[in-house]
Amino acid sequence: MKKDYKGKIELIENIALDTYKMVILSDLRWANPAQFISILCGNKTMRRPFSISDFEKKEKESLTTILFKLKGEGTSYLKNLKKGDEIDFLAPLGNGFKIENKKSLLIGAGIGIAPMLFLKKELNEKNIENFLISGFKNENEIIKGSDKTVIGGSVMDNIEELIKEKNIELIYACGPKVVLKMVDELSTKLNTPSQLALEKVMACSIGVCRGCVIKLIRNNKIQNYSVCKDGPVFFGGEIIWE
Amino acid sequence: MGIEKLKTVLKNEKTNNTLILKTPIIGASGTYGYNIEYADFINLDYLGAISTKGITLESRLGNDGDRIFEVQGGMINRIGLENVGIENFIKEKLPVLKEKKIDFLLNIAGNTIEDYEKLALIASQNEIKALEVNVSCPNVKQGCLEFGLNPESLFSLTSKIRKNYKGFLIVKLSPNTSDIKSLAMAAESGGADCISAINTLRGLGVDIKYIGNKFIKKMVQGGLSGSCIKPVALYMVNQIKNAVKIPVIAMGGICKLSDLFEFILAGADAFQIGTANFQTPSICTSLALELCEFMEKNNFYDFETLKGAILNG
Ligand SMILES: Cc1cc2nc3c(=O)[nH]c(=O)nc-3n(C[C@H](O)[C@H](O)[C@H](O)COP(=O)(O)OP(=O)(O)OC[C@H]3O[C@@H](n4cnc5c(N)ncnc54)[C@H](O)[C@@H]3O)c2cc1C
Ligand SMILES: Cc1cc2nc3c(=O)[nH]c(=O)nc-3n(C[C@H](O)[C@H](O)[C@H](O)COP(=O)(O)O)c2cc1C
Ligand code: FES
Repeated sequence: MKKDYKGKIELIENIALDTYKMVILSDLRWANPAQFISILCGNKTMRRPFSISDFEKKEKESLTTILFKLKGEGTSYLKNLKKGDEIDFLAPLGNGFKIENKKSLLIGAGIGIAPMLFLKKELNEKNIENFLISGFKNENEIIKGSDKTVIGGSVMDNIEELIKEKNIELIYACGPKVVLKMVDELSTKLNTPSQLALEKVMACSIGVCRGCVIKLIRNNKIQNYSVCKDGPVFFGGEIIWE
Repeated sequence: MGIEKLKTVLKNEKTNNTLILKTPIIGASGTYGYNIEYADFINLDYLGAISTKGITLESRLGNDGDRIFEVQGGMINRIGLENVGIENFIKEKLPVLKEKKIDFLLNIAGNTIEDYEKLALIASQNEIKALEVNVSCPNVKQGCLEFGLNPESLFSLTSKIRKNYKGFLIVKLSPNTSDIKSLAMAAESGGADCISAINTLRGLGVDIKYIGNKFIKKMVQGGLSGSCIKPVALYMVNQIKNAVKIPVIAMGGICKLSDLFEFILAGADAFQIGTANFQTPSICTSLALELCEFMEKNNFYDFETLKGAILNG
C-alpha cells in the first residue's frame, strides 16, 4: 500500500502560544486516531512525526490536520511554510487506538491533545460516550475542544474520582512520558483498561531501523516493539518504562 | 525503462567468483530491514539487492536507552545489532526473500571467530549466494578490539569464513582506522571476493541546553552515518580501490545521482544506500531510474561503459 505522499498546505495557523495547526491536502485515503504522519523537514536527516489530529475524506482528496508545538529546527521549518507549499510525508503510520464501545475517558496532556481530538470525533460519530480532559501549562497554551481543561495543575489531579464518578470503562491517553506512566499505574490499580499513545525519537518511522523501540511484556515474554510500526499505541500494563 | 542497462557484474578475477546484480544499487544493512519492508515505497524489482540487517547467531535485543541522535547532515546510531538471529532469519525471513525473488546479501556479525564460522556454514547450507561480513564488531576473546581494525585478525577471520563458505564473500570494512589499505589487502588475501565500505564512523552526539537555571544534557555515542560522512567514504573507497583488485561496493552518505558519479570516480563498482532511505524511502529505485535515464539520454550503452567514461574519459 502506498505510504509516501506529496501534499499541499491548505492552511497553517497559529492557534496558541508556540502552537500551530497545519492542514494538508493530499490523496491520502484513510487514517485512524493515534496514527501519525512523518514529515520531511527541509534537509533534516530524520523526518518528524506528528499525530493526525483530524482527517476529512473528500471525493478524491483528503484533508489531514496536525497540531504542532515549536521545539527546534524541524518544527521551525514547518512553521515557516505557507499555504500552497508542497509537503512530503509518509502516512498513515503506526496502529491507531482500538476503539471499543465502552464509556471512554480521553486524556490529552499538552500537545498530546492532538490525537485525542480526532479520537473524540470518531467516538462521537459512533455514539460512544466519552469525556475528553486536557491539561496545559497556562492560558496561552490552551487548545480548544475538550470537555474539561486543566490549567496550571496536572491533568491527573482528581482523575481517579472522575473515572469512578463517570463509570469509565476505557482510558485513552497521550502526552509526556510522566503522564502516561501515571495513567498506566492508575489503570492497573483501578483495573480499567487503557491505551497509551507513546512518543520516541524516530529515524525511519516504518519499523526498519529499530531506533524507536521500547520493551513490553506480551505473551509472558519481554521483547522489543517499535513505537513507529508496532505502536504508537500500547496497552496499559504491558509497558516496561525505562 | 531499460533497467537491463544497469546490470552489474561483480567479479573476483582471481577465482571467477561472481555476483550479478540487476542494478548497482543496494539497500544498506540496518536501514533496509530483512526483506519486503520497503515494498510500500518501491518496486523491489528495481533493486540491485538488499543487504539484510546484521544477523548474529542468537537473536539480540540491542542496546537500552537512546539509540538514535540526529546531527547536522546525518545521524548517530547505537542500535546494538538488534536482530532476529540466524535461526529465525532462515525460518521466517528467507522464505519471503525467495518467494519474492529478492536478491540479497546476508549481512552477518559475531563476537568470536567461531560465531562467524558457524554463520558462514549456515549460509552455505542454505545456499545463500552472497555474504557480507560486518567486521566492525568487538572481538570478545581479544579484548573487544574490533576484528576489522587489525590486518592479522582480519586475515585470519576472512580465511576461516572462506573455508566454510564458497559463495560470493564480501568483507565490509570499518572506517575507524588509520590504515584502510592494509585492511583491504588482508581481506583480499584472506579470500574475500569483494570489499564493501564504509561502515559507520565513531561519533558522539551532544545535546546541551541551559533551561531554567540548569544545564539539560544528553550524550549519545555510536556510529555516524549520512551525507556528512561522504568525504571520508570517498577517501576510503579510493584508498581501497588502489590497494586491491577485487571489486568495491561503496557507501557512506549517498543520496543523489552525482554522488554515484563521485563514488565511481573514487573506485566504486556498486553502491549501497543507507541513511538516505530514512529521508526518502523510495530513493533506491528513484536513483536507479535516474541513473538509467541519464545513461539513455547520453548514450551510455551499459553500466560498464559509463564507469569507463568516468574513469578514463
Ligand atoms: C508518534 C509521534 C507523534 C507525535 N505527535 C506530535 C504532535 O501531534 N504534535 C507535536 O507537536 N509533536 C508531536 N510529536 C513530537 C514531535 O515529533 C517532536 O516535537 C518534533 O519531532 C520536534 O522536532 P524539532 O526539530 O522541532 O525539535 P528538536 O530540537 O529536533 O527536538 C526536540 C525534541 O523533540 C523530539 N524529537 C526530535 N526529533 C524527533 C524525531 N525524529 N522523532 C520523534 N521525536 C523527535 C525529541 O524528544 C527532542 O528532544 C510526536 C512524536 C511522535 C513519536
Ligand atoms: C540505523 C543503522 C543501522 C545499521 N546497522 C548495520 C548493521 O547491522 N550491519 C552493518 O554492517 N552496517 C549497519 N549500518 C551501517 C550502514 O549499513 C552503512 O554502512 C552506513 O550507515 C554508511 O552508509 P550511509 O551513510 O548511506 O548510511 C547501520 C546504519 C544505520 C544508520
Ligand atoms: S523509527 Fe525506525 S524502527 Fe521506529
